[in-house]
Amino acid sequence: MDFIKTVALPRYAEYNCTFRYILEKGLDVKYLLQPPLTQHTLEIGAKYSPDFVCTPFKTTLGSMIEALEAGADTLIMIFGLCKLGYYGELQEQILRDLGYKFDCINFSDFDTGRKKDYIRGLKRINPKMSFAKFAVAGMEAIKMGDYLDEITGEYYKNYGFAQDRKAYQHAYKAFLRDMYAAGSKSDIEEGYRRAKDAMSRIPLDKPLKPLRVGVIGEFYTAMDAFSNLETEQKLADMGVEVHRWMTATNRVIHYPGETNLNVKIQEYCRYEMGPTSTANIWSAKTYAEKGFDGIVHIKSANCTPEIDIMPVLQNIGNDYKIPILYLTFDAQTSDVGLMTRLEAFYDMIAMRKKVIV
Amino acid sequence: MEQITVGIPRGLLYFRYRTVWKTLFKELGFKVIVSEPTTQETADIGSALTVDEGCLAQKLFFGHVSSLVGRCDYIFIPRIRNYGKSRELCVRFMALYDMAVNMFRGSGQKFLTYSVDEWKSVSEKESVLELAKTLDLPTKRVKAAYKTAVKADEERQKELLQKQSERLKRNGLKILIAAHSYVIEDNFVGKPITEYLKKSGAVPIRADVVDRDSAFKKSLELSSTCKWTVNQEIMSGILSYEDRVDGIILLSTFPCGQDAMVNELILRRVGDMPMLNLVVDGQSGTAGLETRLESFLDIIRFKKGAL
Repeated sequence: MDFIKTVALPRYAEYNCTFRYILEKGLDVKYLLQPPLTQHTLEIGAKYSPDFVCTPFKTTLGSMIEALEAGADTLIMIFGLCKLGYYGELQEQILRDLGYKFDCINFSDFDTGRKKDYIRGLKRINPKMSFAKFAVAGMEAIKMGDYLDEITGEYYKNYGFAQDRKAYQHAYKAFLRDMYAAGSKSDIEEGYRRAKDAMSRIPLDKPLKPLRVGVIGEFYTAMDAFSNLETEQKLADMGVEVHRWMTATNRVIHYPGETNLNVKIQEYCRYEMGPTSTANIWSAKTYAEKGFDGIVHIKSANCTPEIDIMPVLQNIGNDYKIPILYLTFDAQTSDVGLMTRLEAFYDMIAMRKKVIV
Repeated sequence: MEQITVGIPRGLLYFRYRTVWKTLFKELGFKVIVSEPTTQETADIGSALTVDEGCLAQKLFFGHVSSLVGRCDYIFIPRIRNYGKSRELCVRFMALYDMAVNMFRGSGQKFLTYSVDEWKSVSEKESVLELAKTLDLPTKRVKAAYKTAVKADEERQKELLQKQSERLKRNGLKILIAAHSYVIEDNFVGKPITEYLKKSGAVPIRADVVDRDSAFKKSLELSSTCKWTVNQEIMSGILSYEDRVDGIILLSTFPCGQDAMVNELILRRVGDMPMLNLVVDGQSGTAGLETRLESFLDIIRFKKGAL
């Protein structure tokens, strides 16, 4: 019998269900899902990382260690446009120096801009892969990602107003479980329909003009509930309608492109200022134009592109008179400070709404 | 007609491209002014202007920009993204122009820029021509000016390499400094360090002064996926000079994430060489710095049996 790899990737919000689907259904390898991110993950990651690197480096390093300790023999590292593109090589070196033995497939090695090199990368995962199978599983995994972002978006928009919040959360959690267990296209479709159905059956007490907050920010921290200490859930708990355009599918799959998005923010910036900058500035401007009550900007400590768009966001805040809360997340151990800031922000936007309306 | 004045902030990429920029604008008939060398005041003004999470080099840069506001017709801040795939610069250089425009938008100050993104087929030459179009300058003249500028820069490169090989022949402890040009050449950040080394009888050697054309290939021996041009040059410098120096100082500004990653890798992969990882912030005294440098030199001398 051929040796079958046990492959893992770092935890990344709830997107690991799509990674699993693609690897198991499209590339015929075993996928290992390590435990969810915890304080322990971040602590071991931070312990072995350089101090000034952005926080997701530390989180993902910790998550890789947990994957190796759970039995993975192969790690996949992805490529990216900012410091992310260098994560893989350094993380591999750190893990090797720690003595871990594993096969490392770093897509930065294959990130040349030429199609055949990316294909070489896929062949590294499974040399006997079938492209037809991979393409089908890939499309289905994208569909799963779309559903995931849609349901997650709906959840944070409505949770604060559900008459039975527990049942609402239960429906969402059941949906996530379905996606992690999905073995076929029909499983995905069924899980989605079940969740839609269950969530729509729970009545909402939403006022005509609820408090609306738009969340923008960095590619990892803004989406990953553990990394941002559940900022979105905390806002929803307070009875806020939480919106977030910045999702993996929106940025990677459905991105209108630098040129066609940048044209809408020409009064603020002439160029693309960073990999997620155009999308975030555009989101902030859109939320402001739609009359949102506030914007929350989420980033990890030392995220260069997100630090650099802050002067633009400040101008948008001034021009549209919309409050913006800037949050930076590092390896902190408590969410009390965050809670205080979010409560103050909530009180402020709630009072403003009473005065303005 | 009165001569147009272009101001160039003495920060970040200025140190790498100053010959190109200054020659280009002078050849085009502009008056060029460069902001004064960095002082504590530059650092204070820059820190007050920028988000406190940005790096020291960026804070100094905006201190320089601020000192030029109102003193010239245009402030020149190019956006340089990459010189091709795997030849990238820090993402911060993509944002500088738009940051400046947003930060100083009430001041009435005008800015000049061009954007280099060779991966998307926009070369430096094309972007210069694009810039000239906005100023209504004849293409032919711009092409000639750009040619002169590139030539002048090549001369400067040669000169730097020449000086480097002279320094390598000198007697005394040779210390290789691995840093960006805007760190090592800055009056406020790198100068106190090189001055101190010279005063202590050591010869500072720059890791980033290398033959740029062969740097990328050479750096692959140390790191296969590092995509930042300047860090590639520094790594190739370490590989080229490590046999001829006594110690390496990895010098970066607080809190440079990119250098933190690359330096971590260097520390893990370059073996058997005394290395000092030095991170500089906007401190007002140099006593702490000198203590660390002194003990580093002592360790090297002790190792060599000279102490």
